[in-house]
Amino acid sequence: MILLFLVVLIVLSAYSVFTRDLLHGVIALSAVSLVSALLFYILQAPDVAITEAAVGAGVSTVVFVWAIRSTERKKRQ
Amino acid sequence: MTNLLLEGMQWVLVAFSVPTLVRLLLGPTAADRLVALNILSGLALGFLVLRGVQEGRALYLDVALVYDIFGFLGFLAIARFLKDRMTDESQGGEEE
Repeated sequence: MILLFLVVLIVLSAYSVFTRDLLHGVIALSAVSLVSALLFYILQAPDVAITEAAVGAGVSTVVFVWAIRSTERKKRQ
Repeated sequence: MTNLLLEGMQWVLVAFSVPTLVRLLLGPTAADRLVALNILSGLALGFLVLRGVQEGRALYLDVALVYDIFGFLGFLAIARFLKDRMTDESQGGEEE
């Protein structure tokens, strides 16, 4: 199960780097954070998994979406 | 017996997440990917609770709680951004 999660992590990270649309990259990055939290959880580090779930899935997604929203409008004008 | 059943249910949840991951990677629109991520969050919640019950420690259930609360915040932000982009595109198409 650890090997499977690592493969999924690599695939999602490569997708989030190489995709064209920024929103798709942010969604894939949120999934990366989810799989990473699951991996920490399986490796018996629940406090690290709590931090990863709070910061990675919640705050960083909000910050990235906020950044995309405030930069795309300047490009259109 | 209970341990075996819990392990099997975890593998079932991992198997269900595979087509969801395919939809997340290949989904044509952003809404497809958002729904796939939401389903993946639900599957992960079930996985975390199952593993927590198997380990039998209360700290393991907190991870599921915290992930569910903060993941919902992230999905809310993405959905709001998606709504703004859709309304911008429709209004821009009508005006220009």
